[in-house]
Amino acid sequence: MSAPDTVLKVADLGVSYGAATAISRLDFEIRRGEFVAILGPSGCGKSSLLNAISGLMAPSRGRVVVDGDELYLPRSRDPRLGYVFQAHRLLPWRTVKQNLEIVLAASDVPRETWDARIDEILGILHIAQFRDSWPMRLSGGQRQRVSIARALLVDPSYILMDEPLSTLDEVTARSLRQELTGICQRTGATVVFVTHSIREAVYLADRILILTRGPSTIFEDYRVPIERPRDYDDARIAEVEADIIRRIQAPWGLGPAEERQSA
Amino acid sequence: MPDLIAKTMPFLRLPRPGPALAGAKLPGLVIALGSMLLIWHLGAMAVLPWIPAPADTAVEIWANLQSAEFWHDFRLTLARVLGAFALATLLGAAIGILIGLSERAEAFFQPLLALALAVPDPVYIIFAILAFGTGETAGFVALTVAVAPFVSNIVRSSVHARDRGLDEMARIYRLPRSAFLRESLLPQLVPALLTAARFSFALSWKLAVVVEAIGQPDGIGASIFESFRLLRMREVAATAIIFILAMQLLERGLLGRLEKRLLRWRA
Ligand SMILES: Nc1ncnc2c1ncn2[C@@H]1O[C@H](COP(=O)(O)OP(=O)(O)O)[C@@H](O)[C@H]1O
Ligand SMILES: [Mg+2]
Repeated sequence: MSAPDTVLKVADLGVSYGAATAISRLDFEIRRGEFVAILGPSGCGKSSLLNAISGLMAPSRGRVVVDGDELYLPRSRDPRLGYVFQAHRLLPWRTVKQNLEIVLAASDVPRETWDARIDEILGILHIAQFRDSWPMRLSGGQRQRVSIARALLVDPSYILMDEPLSTLDEVTARSLRQELTGICQRTGATVVFVTHSIREAVYLADRILILTRGPSTIFEDYRVPIERPRDYDDARIAEVEADIIRRIQAPWGLGPAEERQSA
Repeated sequence: MPDLIAKTMPFLRLPRPGPALAGAKLPGLVIALGSMLLIWHLGAMAVLPWIPAPADTAVEIWANLQSAEFWHDFRLTLARVLGAFALATLLGAAIGILIGLSERAEAFFQPLLALALAVPDPVYIIFAILAFGTGETAGFVALTVAVAPFVSNIVRSSVHARDRGLDEMARIYRLPRSAFLRESLLPQLVPALLTAARFSFALSWKLAVVVEAIGQPDGIGASIFESFRLLRMREVAATAIIFILAMQLLERGLLGRLEKRLLRWRA
């Protein structure tokens, strides 16, 4: 039985590309307002999982239920989702505002409210001054902020993020990481956040789904035992990180030399 | 040879290629034009006496520019060129997008396109004239059939090379098909469409003149052919030069401006 505030339920999920299995079996649930990190080694099937729970790619087996609706049944209702991709995937020939309007136009948000909504969300992300800029004139961090704004814009059931900070320089990634928790609390967003950085997962998430090497299953459903607000350089974060590294060493096949890199 | 040059054109010295000229665009153009005029002049003087001399041709060009009859032909041909160009580009682009997006459409159109590209253009012209007579339809059809497949091919490759990440973005945010085409796909095709339009325009005006020469009573092509039949080579040269220059100006001015406007978002 699912808890009443379950937004996503994944049951017996398998994903294959032809004969190659990417995900062998996953079961989990996510509640409204939760920040869940998906942690796994490269190639274990993290992006495949996001494809399956976003409706981009039908799983080879199992069920995905979003807000009580089966995602892959014919004539099922399309859920409203946000997606922050690794690359920004903005339309470079449209300004920031136009990029957001295109998404609003495709949803059923009444037109009179667009302007206020766009202003509010750009304000939350501190990019109000770039409202009328072309995306190519912005920095990588600013573009990713627009991408996050776009994901928040339609009040999604949940937001998927696939290593959204991994292409940014560390200084930019740090400030965005820090803001992300605040943004999620302010907007009440439910987030599924894929990362291969253990520290990032520990810092951001309420729960970490640690996957095995591909074809993946869930190695551990880990609740982060640190209250908020958190500090990225806090010793407790480093402790939890070290603890997780100890546990995954064997299943991920990490040698002692590799573990630091992976963090 | 240098003697001859010194005698016939004392004011011109042969340019020596040197570092000062290398890379400079304007001197290059002047040299190219100068040598062309020179060769033309020499040819007309010494080698082939039936070639009209540049100076005579210039006089003829001037006369043409004053002539109502010339402008009548010019407008007629221009309308034919633009009409066929627009139809061929739109039709070709539409087919290119269709076969780029749909494998079934591609399976259907691909052999037809390959065939269309293999047929020499004069064959279309002749068959169109046989089928539709010497009216406007024949030229229109022949040009469209000859030009559109090129446009389709260029556009199809560009559709195949599109950013699949934006396709996923469009699906996640549930953009309707029309919005996907307008906001995501078409802008990605702009560079290819501009290339296609350039190509299509150049092919259109060249073929339009041929169609007029072979099968139409009026227009620039017909007028050139008529002058040629009467061996009035000065008229042939003058008409051709004005028309070629006009088409070049149109291509550079119009398409160049369009390109700047459409690609202004680039950083
Ligand atoms: N389009 C595809 N076709 C075939 N195999 C794929 C495709 N996408 C991913 N895979 C394979 O599935 C596995 C999981 O990939 P992915 O989900 O991208 O992993 P991750 O995001 O964790 O790095 C990998 O072995 C990868 O090679
Ligand atoms: Mg991935």
